[in-house]
Amino acid sequence: MGPRERRGVERGEGPPRLNMDWFPVWLSLRVALLASAVTVVLGVPLAWLLARRRFPGRDVISAALLSPLVLPPTVLGYYLLMLIGARGVVGRTLAGWNIELAFTWRAAVLAAAVGSFPLLIRTAQSGFESVDRRLEQAAQTLGHSELSIFWTISVPLAWRAILAGTVLAFCRAFGDFGITLMVAGNIPGRTQTLPLAIYDHVQANQLGQANVLSLLSIGIFLTLMLALGRAARLRF
Amino acid sequence: MLSVTARKQFGDFILDAAWTTDQPIVALVGPSGSGKTLTLQCIAGLIAPDSGRIVSAGRTLFDSAERVNLPPQQRRIGYVFQGYALFPHMTVARNIAYGVPRGADGRDRASERTKRIIDRLGINPLSARYPSELSGGQQQRVALARALATDPDVLLLDEPFSALDAPLRRELSAELSQTLREWGKIAVLVTHDLPEAYQIADMVVLYEHGSTTAAVSKNDLLWNPSSERVARLIGARNILHAAIADASGDSIILDWRGGRLEAARSPSHALHARAGDSLAFFVRPEYVRLIRKNRPVTDGLRHTNLFHGEIVGERDEGTTWVLFFRLAREGRPSQGLYDLEIEIPKLVYERLGISTDRHWDVSIHPGSIQVLPGR
Repeated sequence: MGPRERRGVERGEGPPRLNMDWFPVWLSLRVALLASAVTVVLGVPLAWLLARRRFPGRDVISAALLSPLVLPPTVLGYYLLMLIGARGVVGRTLAGWNIELAFTWRAAVLAAAVGSFPLLIRTAQSGFESVDRRLEQAAQTLGHSELSIFWTISVPLAWRAILAGTVLAFCRAFGDFGITLMVAGNIPGRTQTLPLAIYDHVQANQLGQANVLSLLSIGIFLTLMLALGRAARLRF
Repeated sequence: MLSVTARKQFGDFILDAAWTTDQPIVALVGPSGSGKTLTLQCIAGLIAPDSGRIVSAGRTLFDSAERVNLPPQQRRIGYVFQGYALFPHMTVARNIAYGVPRGADGRDRASERTKRIIDRLGINPLSARYPSELSGGQQQRVALARALATDPDVLLLDEPFSALDAPLRRELSAELSQTLREWGKIAVLVTHDLPEAYQIADMVVLYEHGSTTAAVSKNDLLWNPSSERVARLIGARNILHAAIADASGDSIILDWRGGRLEAARSPSHALHARAGDSLAFFVRPEYVRLIRKNRPVTDGLRHTNLFHGEIVGERDEGTTWVLFFRLAREGRPSQGLYDLEIEIPKLVYERLGISTDRHWDVSIHPGSIQVLPGR
């Protein structure tokens, strides 16, 4: 890369034009969407269980779910990599089915999901906890199964908290850096998500591109938190 | 027929309930925290007792010995929760339809009788509304209709009036009683208010610190309590103790405060006591009579259980006055500073000039002295 390209600005006729690579934006959006989908599908039932059931190992699960918020992302990423890498338990199993996980975009989804999981769980769990228990008990005496009660009573009454948790999870997934770097790497055009691209741009002194991507992130964040948050009267 | 034996420990608190009813409406009465709601939850299957047996309409719902524990969905128990627990995100119509058993064709299978009762609750005009748009009384009717719509064998009602104002309470308790009687199966009502239970129920079970008395008819409970404990639980005043002087005749002669007291026998509870034994009894404050002073004769023939004494305290209760009366006798007054609580209408208080005149003769009719044979 020559010095001109490094700065990312092509000088020529007219105003300076940025040489933008939009791949990280699309990848990040796709990763964040898939990761928050995975998080919601697994997290909402788990949040309900934590809110409503006492079972052995509940405290351990609660603590484990907190770890992405408090552990260094590299620590988490490291253990994830040990798990899904070529020699890891999961990695070997998947390799048997000809599926590669580590250092692919799928690993980025996994990393983003792990990072965003606690945000959804905590918000949805407190949402479920604030549903009057007697409503679910009433539904039981009215003959409905646990599954039916979950869909007809618990989820409809906790939907604001679930949606708030989903928005938080999406934003967190969109912005994950550390875990993604550890398990998916930073391969331009393959696993380089938006936060990693910003990092590279700054390293390469391409501040224009870094700025565009940063502002774009802030825009997405503000749109979701403020616009959606206000429209649905969400409390984060 | 509903029969409940349930024992469950929560830390220091032990629920130990045992009662049976075959009457349509039974009320569980006791202070808050005495285990009434817990009992309902055990019947409904929302919590499992540590041990016990619950049988409703011939079906065993729970039996710790036989390891039977039907889930709430299969118990055929309707439950009207305290505060009603209507689903806030559903209309009245959907709330009621939520528990209706449906046949294979999707048609509702509630019985004609149930439908008729629900119709009569007058909810139809409210069908499209949400619970938050209803008054307390309307919410109660919807909760009742929702529970009845499942065609349960037994209906449980937890403090159904706690969310309502006093005038509405009185009106709705009469209405509820009528609805439940018309429905005709067994209803279990939880309340901390004995008069409310008396108005609505046939049988009453008293709760205290988790344990219960047997279910007794409400008349027996009020007019013929079986023991000192029951008398205390129903809030009887002037609960006193005396030695039996003679229990051989038609009435019981008691030795109380250095004098003789004649008491009628309990019509249903046999007295297994002899002269010399101690006995508890109570005197209803409104049945103690003050003897007018301008009447010449105050002899023992016209007035049984005649005592002279002094009013040592009083309390204005609005339409009535409560007087604290101490006998003119040696020894410690039986209730600390006084011997008897006397309740008289305000009008009588004023006519007799009691505010200035404090020395009186009183008489207690033998029939108004209730002996308490049991412990």
